[in-house]
Amino acid sequence: MNPNRGKSKAPDRRASAPLPSKRTLEKELSKGATGEHLKSVFQVEEEQDEEDSQRLIMNFGPQHPATHGTLRNIFTIEGETIVEADVEIGFLHTGFEKLAEHMTYQQWVTVTDRMNYLSAINNNVGYAVAVEELLGIEVPPRCQALRVIMSELSRIGDHVLCVGLQAMDLGAFSVMLWAFEKREMVYDIIEAVCGARLTTSWTRVGGIMRDVPPNFADEVYRFLELFPPLHAEIHYMLKTNRIFKDRVQGVGVVDTETALSWGLSGPIGRASGVDLDVRRDKPYLGYDQYNFEVPIQDSGDSWARYLQRMDEIEQSLEIIRQAMATLPSGPVVHEDFKTSLPKKQAVYTDMESLIHHFKLVMLGHGIRPEEGASIYSSTEAPCGELGFFVVSDGSDTPLRIRIRPPSFYNYAIFPRLVEGGMISDSVAILSSFHVIAGELDR
Amino acid sequence: MSDDTPPPETPPGDASPSNQQPAPHPVRAALPPLIESRILDEVTHGGQTGFIVRTPDQRAILEHLRFEQNFEFLKDITAIDFLGRDTIERFQVVYVLYRIPDKLNIRLHAWLPEEVESVPSVVDLWDSARWSERETHDMFGIVFDGNPDLRRLLMPEDFPAFPLLKDYPLKGRGERRQFPLVRPRGNEMVEDAPLPYPVSIGRGMHTPEYVEEVQRESKPRKK
Repeated sequence: MNPNRGKSKAPDRRASAPLPSKRTLEKELSKGATGEHLKSVFQVEEEQDEEDSQRLIMNFGPQHPATHGTLRNIFTIEGETIVEADVEIGFLHTGFEKLAEHMTYQQWVTVTDRMNYLSAINNNVGYAVAVEELLGIEVPPRCQALRVIMSELSRIGDHVLCVGLQAMDLGAFSVMLWAFEKREMVYDIIEAVCGARLTTSWTRVGGIMRDVPPNFADEVYRFLELFPPLHAEIHYMLKTNRIFKDRVQGVGVVDTETALSWGLSGPIGRASGVDLDVRRDKPYLGYDQYNFEVPIQDSGDSWARYLQRMDEIEQSLEIIRQAMATLPSGPVVHEDFKTSLPKKQAVYTDMESLIHHFKLVMLGHGIRPEEGASIYSSTEAPCGELGFFVVSDGSDTPLRIRIRPPSFYNYAIFPRLVEGGMISDSVAILSSFHVIAGELDR
Repeated sequence: MSDDTPPPETPPGDASPSNQQPAPHPVRAALPPLIESRILDEVTHGGQTGFIVRTPDQRAILEHLRFEQNFEFLKDITAIDFLGRDTIERFQVVYVLYRIPDKLNIRLHAWLPEEVESVPSVVDLWDSARWSERETHDMFGIVFDGNPDLRRLLMPEDFPAFPLLKDYPLKGRGERRQFPLVRPRGNEMVEDAPLPYPVSIGRGMHTPEYVEEVQRESKPRKK
């Protein structure tokens, strides 16, 4: 068998001679090295070269099914062991931040869907909250509660899919099928609410696109009834599965200090003992009204990240239950129509609303936050802390919007984790990190 | 949000002139005077405070915040381009920091002149700065002095421009057409010359050459 099989043709930047002989020679000579010493130096180099010839460079991605997206991992391997790892990202880079500077605040809502396409609602809500904080407006209670319910539903869909894919990558294919089936229930509700399944564009600055349909409560209660047994079934299937446990326990361990330093947040950070949850620490959308716990694990391995997601699903179900029980009635859009769009029906029949609509929609008018105002606003997305840093220049388009994508920071540590491990462990780690390429590259 | 707000002003009844000033932000008050004097300004919006400094000074402040004031979590590093605006310098490098025990978010804005290209890196203070500095370099061309791995992150390695600069057009300068085109011809791969591509100037406005090319290409070709 050809030992170079699978070797990449792409030139590797870092694989070029670790000890450049000419430079070494010059360095040694400048120190006044003698013949014997130089001989030993070259011997070390020869040994290094021999060692290098055992290594080969393997591209894991960007089209590998286990990457679940266009991530390119460049592994230098010796046998089955990864000696060096490097990643290349940016295949899905679409310039969202550049686009933001050329769109109005309302228009950019549609772009936020495309970041984390598995839980687009959370991105919509995060962006809407950021601009509302910049404008200093508060949305009505019904809108807040609906945003909370939909965010938590979306979070459940995201987590259950992640768990399913994690199981699939490690060989438990049926769990993935079950997870997809469960996620379908979430998507049915999302489709009923906003008409789209993936690219929802559901929120508006100052509210949501429209009130929920009349059968919304029934559907959510049906989901709350049907989902917990299925969740327990998945959990039972995996937590008693010897193969799954052997593959994930003790793999990809991140300790608390490392996790903090690398900026890990969300389920991945909390699985390593970083006690951070924006919903609890900086309650937005009235999250402080609901009783929920922030589960936390201390082992920091792939198994802990799995358990963390399963625990978070339970807490999300609890939040939805409480929010549904106390769902207030009333308007769903902030009533000051200087910043939020009036109802379409009112625009057709009411002079005042028509003027407001015109002033908001026409280019060169629109929402105009105070000049020089800037805010970093963060919400808890399924992958971690999703932050928007919005800077206004007083016009209808932002001067700058910076997205703090959770996957970006979570993925940065990945090459460090896989170095020294086996190739198969890298799959177990990557699937537990749940990196969404759309959000990573933006 | 109440955690972020600085302590309220002292009541006006106080006669002492030093108490006429609003109390400084607790983070600012805890800085040593030598470092504190470097802070040019303070912006507060929505209960969140940002300190404004000039470029090499942020390193000392960040070191102090990291080790003395226990800001363990660096949330983000980014930059803003103020081209064509009435500001003291062109760029601002922004650091978003978080302290876990009292849930305090603060920002540090560092003015960076256009001609100065390098900013002290904070990779040794927080590992999360590795990729965020890399991305800021990728998008704005700002060099972080001390970052061991400052390659391009999102853009291709041989990309010639920095796309988030304000003078870079939204639709690009035709870089995609400038990549070498390698095509199989017979048994060997031959590199073609890059296609000419007119420059568009963003905001939906195109040069006449571009409009001409679009019209030409949209017509069905004769066989």
